[in-house]
Amino acid sequence: MQFLRYSRSIYGGQDQLIGASWDLLPWFVGAAAAFIILHAILSAVANRRRRPSR
Amino acid sequence: MNEIATRDLQAATKDPEHVVRHQPLDRLYHWLMAICVFILMGTAFLPILGIKFEWLDIHWITGVALAALVLFHIVRALFFQDWRNMWIGITDLREMWGDVYRLLGGQARQQLPGKYDAAQKLYHLGVAVVVLSVVGTGLLMLLKIDTPLWRRNPYWFSADTWGMIYVIHGMAAMTIVAIVLVHIYFAVHPDQWYLTPSMFRGWISRADYDRHHDPTRWKA
Repeated sequence: MQFLRYSRSIYGGQDQLIGASWDLLPWFVGAAAAFIILHAILSAVANRRRRPSR
Repeated sequence: MNEIATRDLQAATKDPEHVVRHQPLDRLYHWLMAICVFILMGTAFLPILGIKFEWLDIHWITGVALAALVLFHIVRALFFQDWRNMWIGITDLREMWGDVYRLLGGQARQQLPGKYDAAQKLYHLGVAVVVLSVVGTGLLMLLKIDTPLWRRNPYWFSADTWGMIYVIHGMAAMTIVAIVLVHIYFAVHPDQWYLTPSMFRGWISRADYDRHHDPTRWKA
């Protein structure tokens, strides 16, 4: 997986930075999904603990 | 519609059962910003995902609209509203620590927040950094395109600098996707659900205000 995108400059053989790699997009979505799932589980457990037992 | 919202808000202001949370202008800003962000995400990422269309004009025009909205919000928040409502102080850090501690199973006394809780303030700070990054770099990227208002001049920056500008723009744009997902999650979360309708109608109930907020930190 690449973090950055490069292109070859027409003025020389050197690679030129042209932006962030779009391969990272699923990782950003995954990080948000992981945060949401973790928070949902923890807050459900915390709410259950707070609720008085019958 | 705005007239109805204003009337609702006037009623809420006089009604002791309702506490005004968002003025009509702030709700309008929120929803216009949401529309802009969704258009910008669509025009940025759909072509990358293989859905090809002429995205550039829609993208830059919406980007300029977003920049204007952000500028409006900054001026309004700094000069016409109490910016301290969104300021992160020591009390907020203590509150945040207590929230995390309780979430992980610890026993800590719950500190009621002011108008916004610590997590909301932290989220706002994150959004501010990311949106300012994407808007700032986006405005610079306008130098690379011809529009009815200006001619392109890509020689303002070196190729390396342009590369960095594109990296920041892309990273910030992908972060916004994550931020939007988290925002929608919290909008439908049961603990925050009492707040969500206030982004439509402007107010929360007095009972919710008493239950969830510290009146010394948010005087309503």
